[in-house]
Amino acid sequence: METLSFLMDGFSTALSLENFLYALLGCFIGTLIGALPGLGPANGVAIMIPLAFTLGLPPETALIMLTSVYAGAMYGGRISSILLNIPGDEPAMMTCLDGYPMARQGKAAEALALSALASFIGSLVATIGLIFLAPILARFALSFGAAEYFALFVLAFATLGGVTGKNPVKSALAAGIGLSIATVGIDISTGTQRYTFNVLELFEGIDFIVAIVGLFAVSELLLFIEAHRGSTPRSEVKMNPLRLSFASVLQILPTSLRGGVLGFIAGVLPGAGASLGSFVSYTLEKRIVGSKGYFGEGDPRGIAAPEAGNNGAASGALVPMLTLGIPGSATTAVLLAMLVSFNITPGPLMFTQNADIVWSVIAALLLGNILLLLLNIPLVGIFVHLLSIPPRYLLPIVTMVAFVGIYAISRSAFDLCFMIAFGVMGFIFRKAEIPLVPIILGMLLGPEMEKNLRHVMQIHDGDWTMLWNSGLSIGLWCIALAGLILPVIIGPILRRRTPQVKS
Amino acid sequence: MINLDRMLGLVLLTLAVAYGWGAFNFPVAFAGPESVGPATFPKILAFIVGICSLYMLIKPDSMEEGFEFKALPELLLVLAVLVLYVFLMEPLGFILSTALMVATLCWRMGVKPSYAGMTGIVSSTLVFLLFHFGLALPLPIGPWEL
Repeated sequence: METLSFLMDGFSTALSLENFLYALLGCFIGTLIGALPGLGPANGVAIMIPLAFTLGLPPETALIMLTSVYAGAMYGGRISSILLNIPGDEPAMMTCLDGYPMARQGKAAEALALSALASFIGSLVATIGLIFLAPILARFALSFGAAEYFALFVLAFATLGGVTGKNPVKSALAAGIGLSIATVGIDISTGTQRYTFNVLELFEGIDFIVAIVGLFAVSELLLFIEAHRGSTPRSEVKMNPLRLSFASVLQILPTSLRGGVLGFIAGVLPGAGASLGSFVSYTLEKRIVGSKGYFGEGDPRGIAAPEAGNNGAASGALVPMLTLGIPGSATTAVLLAMLVSFNITPGPLMFTQNADIVWSVIAALLLGNILLLLLNIPLVGIFVHLLSIPPRYLLPIVTMVAFVGIYAISRSAFDLCFMIAFGVMGFIFRKAEIPLVPIILGMLLGPEMEKNLRHVMQIHDGDWTMLWNSGLSIGLWCIALAGLILPVIIGPILRRRTPQVKS
Repeated sequence: MINLDRMLGLVLLTLAVAYGWGAFNFPVAFAGPESVGPATFPKILAFIVGICSLYMLIKPDSMEEGFEFKALPELLLVLAVLVLYVFLMEPLGFILSTALMVATLCWRMGVKPSYAGMTGIVSSTLVFLLFHFGLALPLPIGPWEL
C-alpha cells in the first residue's frame, strides 16, 4: 500500500493549480501535434523541451506538461487517420483501416468519440499496469551491478530497431554514431580532452537537446522542401452530429480492455512499441470477433482495438524508461533527454531519490487521460478545423519555434549552427533510412555506458570476461542478441501484413 | 545514379578512421596510463562504426526513392536562409529577421508572397510579444533599441 500513498502524493503535486494548467496546455498541444500529419509526437515533444526550459519550470511541472503532450499526441493521431485516411503518426496507421470507412459512411463523429473512449480505456488499463509493475521492476533493477548495466544498455540498442526495423546494420551504425558524439568533450574521470579541437564550446560536449531539435524538426523541413508536397489533402469528410448509442459503447468495451492489456505488454517489452501494440491488438481482435465482425468496412471494434492498443503501449513504454532508464521509442527517448537535462539520473534509483517526480508524472498520466477524454469528445471540432492548416504554413512556424527555443536556452549562434548541421545530418540519414532514435539514445546513454564499462574494468583489473560473468548479465546479453537476430527473421513477415501507409 | 548508401558508407568510414586515429593520440592523462582509459571506449566505437559503414559500402540497400537532385538548389537556398537568419538575428533584431525567415520559407514552399509576408510578420510579432512581455525573456531588439 506504499504505492498508493506515493500515488496520492503524486496527485497532490499534479493537482496544484499551476501543474494542472500546464497539464491542460500539454494535452491540448499534444492532441494538435498528434493530429497534424507531418508533425509526429517525437518532433512535437522535441520542440517543446527548450520551451519548457525557457519557461523556467521546475522539473516536475515540466515533466507533467511533456507527459501530457506525449499522451495527447497518442490521442491526436487518430483524428487524421479517421478523417483523412492519413495517419497523424505511425501507431495510428491501423486506425485508418476501419476509421476512414466509418467516416465515409457519415459516422465520423461516432468514430472519433468511440476511438477517444477506447484510447482512454487503453491508457487507463496500462497506467494501472504501470503503477503496479514499475516499482517491482525498479526494486529488481537495484540488484544490477555495473556489468549488468552495461549489458542492459547494449540490450536497449539491440532491441531499439524493433521487430519491424529494417536493417540492423544501420541501427548499429546509428547507435555507434550517437555514442561517438557523446564522447566529445572533457572526459569526466580523467579530464582528458576528447575531440574538442580546443574549441571552448565543445569542452562541455554537444548538447543533446540541440541535436534532438535539429535531427527531428529541421530535418522535417528539409524533407518537405525536397519532396515539395505542395498540395495538402483536404478533409473530404464532413462532420456529422454525434449520435452515440449506449449499445455501441458497450460493444467496444471488451475490445478496449483487451487492447489496453495487449498494448501495455507490447509497450513494456523492449523494442516493441506502440506500432506493434496497435497491430497486435487489431489482428487479435479480428480473430476473436471472427465472422460476426465486418472489419475493414467500418467496424467500431476495428478502431477501438488499435487505439486502445497504441495508447496502452504509450503508457507501457514508460515502464522501462522510468525504471531502467532505457526508452523503447522515439518519444520516450526524447522524454528521457528531458530528465537527463534536469540532472535526474534515470534508472531504478529514481524511484527512491526522486519519488515525488516519478509519482507526479504517473499521476499526471492519469489526470491527463481524463482531461484528454473531456477535451476530445466535445472539442474535437476545433482539432478538425486546425487539421486544415497546410504544412506550407505550419513548417516554417515550427522551424521558428525550434530556433527560438534553442536561442532562448543558450543565446548562442554556435548552438543554432549546430542545430542546422544536425538537421542536415538528420535529413541525409532519413533519406538513407538510417534510424535517428539510436543516435539520440547513444548521446543520452553514452556517458553512463562508458562509466559502467570502465567501472567493471577497474574493479576486475581489465578482465573483459567479467562483462558476462553473472547469470543475469548473460541473460541480458542473450536477449540483446535475440533482439538483433529476430528482426531479420520476423521483420519481413510483419511488414507484409501491415497495411501500406500513404505518405 | 550514385547509391546514397555507398556514398554515406564511404564518408562514415573515413570519419570512423579519423575518429579512431584520434583516440590513439589522446594526451596521456595526468593520473598515468590505465588499462581502460579515456581512449578505450572511442576505439570500440570507431571499430563498430567502421565495420557497419564498410558493410554499407559493400552491400548497399536498393533505395526505393532516390534523392531528388532537382531539389538540391532549393535545399541549399533554405539552408542559406537558416544560416543567414542565425547571424542576422542580433544585428536586425528578432522581429525583422524572423519575419523574413518565415516569409521566405513559406514562399519557397508555395505560398503566395503576400500571404507569406503576412504569416512572417504576424507570427514573429506574436512570438516576440509572448517572450518579451509574457515570459520576460528578452529577445534581440536590434537597431530599434532605445
